[in-house]
Order: sequence, then structure tokens, then C-alpha cells
Amino acid sequence: MVKLRIGYPEDPDYGERLAEFEARIARGEKIEPGDWMPAEYRRQLIRMISQHAHSEWVGMLPEGAWIPRAPSIRRKLILLAKVQDEAGHGQYLYHAAETLGITREEMVEALLSGKAKYSNIFNYPTLTWADVGIIGWLVDGMAIKNQTMLAQCSYGPYSRAMVRICAEETFHHKQGKEAVLLYAKGSRKQRQMVQDALNRWWWPTLMMAGPHDTDSPHTPLLLRWGIKTKTNDQVRQEFLNEHVPELLEAGLRIPDPHLRYDEKTGNWIHGPIPWDEFWKVINGEGPMNRQRLLARRRAHEEGRWVREALEAYAQRQLAQAAD
Amino acid sequence: MWGTEWPRFEVIKQDTQHSPPQMVGSVHAADPEHALLVARHVFVRRPAAYALFVAPAEAFFHVSQEGLKDLAPRREGGPEEAYWVFAKRSHRRSMVYGDLVGRFLAQGPEDAIAQALLQAQGVAFWAVPERLVVGTEPTEEVVESWFAPAKDKRYRLQSYYGLITAKGVEDA
Repeated sequence: MVKLRIGYPEDPDYGERLAEFEARIARGEKIEPGDWMPAEYRRQLIRMISQHAHSEWVGMLPEGAWIPRAPSIRRKLILLAKVQDEAGHGQYLYHAAETLGITREEMVEALLSGKAKYSNIFNYPTLTWADVGIIGWLVDGMAIKNQTMLAQCSYGPYSRAMVRICAEETFHHKQGKEAVLLYAKGSRKQRQMVQDALNRWWWPTLMMAGPHDTDSPHTPLLLRWGIKTKTNDQVRQEFLNEHVPELLEAGLRIPDPHLRYDEKTGNWIHGPIPWDEFWKVINGEGPMNRQRLLARRRAHEEGRWVREALEAYAQRQLAQAAD
Repeated sequence: MWGTEWPRFEVIKQDTQHSPPQMVGSVHAADPEHALLVARHVFVRRPAAYALFVAPAEAFFHVSQEGLKDLAPRREGGPEEAYWVFAKRSHRRSMVYGDLVGRFLAQGPEDAIAQALLQAQGVAFWAVPERLVVGTEPTEEVVESWFAPAKDKRYRLQSYYGLITAKGVEDA
């Protein structure tokens, strides 16, 4: 097992070790589980990676609800594969967090008790099939922007999980874009459906990148230690610059009357983001917060007998081996 | 706490018959057989797998770049056993932990890694006793039944969708 080497500011050699640690990051080296790291680096990573893992797991719910109602076998297969991927991504991330000395059980308990956060976006309902397309194209589009940035992370296991996830997420993004464009060029009813989905998901998607840099207290430290390599506003801007022209080309209306293109910077500039709603949802008052946690708790309870049966089987095997 | 957390198994995946087994992550499972099944679901959703191996995470000895300078191989004339040694060769971005350097007869994991260092440079090493490694059988039947189904699921690959544009959809 990997022995963690954690440094605290009160340690006599902390300053010297911290300087070496930061020099390694500046050289582009990855920090591995057995390497010395500041306690705060470990804490921030556990917070971020476990939240990310929880988001993958809760993220299965809004789309999973549409598996039985997918409009064709092809779409059903694609959606099944996508939801299965999200479960796998949660596994990669929980593993990365475990390398920092936290157990899977502790993380799952924090999620089920409501103590841990997960991405706000999954606290919104999926009302029509068009929502599934919009989630793939826009929600996963924003997630990929963030994950591509995190693939450069200074912590080896998190970076590796992100590289693997990014390689797989690209299919999520493409299938969503394909579905949305088909509806955008489809019948009047299909066009209305996809426009309605865009209207509902646009602002929550922009909020996924997190608060503005001026309101993000963790960002300076995360950048300094190479956990993040771009700020929230930079990630959001990359998303806008890629997706706005394509949405407009598809004939869709973006529900932001202040959205404009800035010739000087080449950036699409969005209007005021409704942050009141963001904070309301993060504090548990979103449209689906309660249902999401209830569903996860129910799944955990319904799987209890499987865990216990396998545990009993393993114990019996051990006892038999001892005889 | 529920007290039902299964032990963790490191997962080693071999993409083709001639490529090196690589450490790809871990799964929780009741025993090695269960770990292999879970590993297939987690790490082989897409094509490119020839074999999977698992070993208890607690059996791995790990040394990172910082620890390499203090590595003290024990050679006390005791019994030897075979170890699999994996190396992460650089800080380049990657999705795998380490590639198999080889199999070494050694008196302990430190000794095995010291021997591996004569063959390969790296920024992190892992060693695990071979007796604890359990894998899928390299028979045609096993490879086919375990890994071939993923090959038909092309809709999981981004290349399946090609270049998607509003114009392209309109013309289709």
C-alpha cells in the first residue's frame, strides 16, 4: 500500500518541502501518491475528485430515466452505453480519490447523507427526449472543456482518470450534437421541443463552470498548485466560443438577450448569469435535489443484499481455505 | 459506515497479445474472480483488450520518484519469488499508471524494483508478487467471450459519428 507523506504548515521543514513541491509542479512533473504533498493540496483534491465522482454517479439519473423511452433501438443502445460510461467514470474518479487515503465508503456515505456536493446541473429534470440531446451536446460539452483542463492536473491519478474520461466523453458530445441537429432540422414539433430544451438548460450549463473568478475563493490556490490550469471564466469562454456559432447555425435561439460577439477579442460575451438560482440549487432547493438523493439512497439500499451476499461468500471461501 | 466495503484490487489490462500489460486503475471486489468481472465492466467497455489481471491493492509495493533515491533493496540470502514490476516512465500525460517492465526473481519488492531499474528508467515503480496476480486465460475461447462483444459496439466510439455539422444534417 502507498504510504502518504503529508506536510503541515507547523512542520519544521514545511517551507523547504513546499518550495521543492512547487518547483516540481513548475517543471511539469506529476505528483504521485507516495510523494510529499501539503495537507491542503490533499484536502482540495479529495474535495474536487469526490465531488466529480459523485457528479458522474448522480449524472446517470436524468438520462437513465429516458432509456426505456428512447425513440429507437439505436438511440437506446447509445444512451445505455453513455449511462454505463458515466458509472465507469465515477469508478475511475473514486479510485483516484482513494489514492489520497480516503475510503470509498466514506465518500459514498458523504454523498448519501447529503454532506457532499455534486454538480448542480443534475438537479434539473429531463422533461422531453430533446433534453437528452442537449445534455450530450451542451452539458457534456461544458464538462469536456473542464475535463480537458483537468487532464493537465498536477496530481497523477486525477490527470490519468481525466485523460481516460475525455477519450470516452467525446462520443457523448457527438451523439448529443447529432440528436439536437436532427431535431433542429426536423418537424415543427421537434424544433419546438429542442428549442424548449435549450431554453431550460442554457443557464444551468453556463453555471457548470462555477462562479466567476472574482467569486471563486479556491481558484488562486488551485492554479498555483496546478490542480486547475484554467479559471472558471476561461473554461466558460472556451465553451461559448465553440458552441454559440454552432447553435446559431442550427437555427436555434440562445435565450440570452445580451449575448454578443466581441470583434476585438473574438469572444462571445454572455449576459448576466442568474447566480441566485445557482446558489439556491447548490443549497438543496433545486427542482430535483430531493429526488436525486432519494434515488441514490434507494439504489444503495436495494443493492445491500448483493454486497452482503458477496461478503458472506468471501468469508466462507476464507474459512474453507483456512481449513 | 456500513462495514461492507470490499477490498481493492489493482487492475492490469493488456490491449493486444504483443503489448505490455498496463496498470489502469482499481476496483472493489469480494475476491479475484469478482474483481475480474467488475474490471471488465469498468475498463473494457470499448475494444482493445486481450487480457485482464487483478491483484490485491495492499500487495503492491510502490515507490515514487522522491522515494527512489532511498530505495534499499534487501538481499539477505533468503528465498526468492517472482515479482511483476511496473514503471511509469515519464511525466507525460497518460491514462495508465505503469507498464510492465518484466518479471523478476527477487527477495523482496525493493530488490525486484532495483533489478527493474537496470532495464528501465521511470518516475514511479510498482512491484507485486506474481503468486497474487490472477488473470483471464489466454485461450481463444476466453479472449473471444470476454473481449470480443465490445468490438461490435461501435456507437461507443466518437469516430462512428464522423464530422457533425448543421449543414451536414440538412443535406442528409
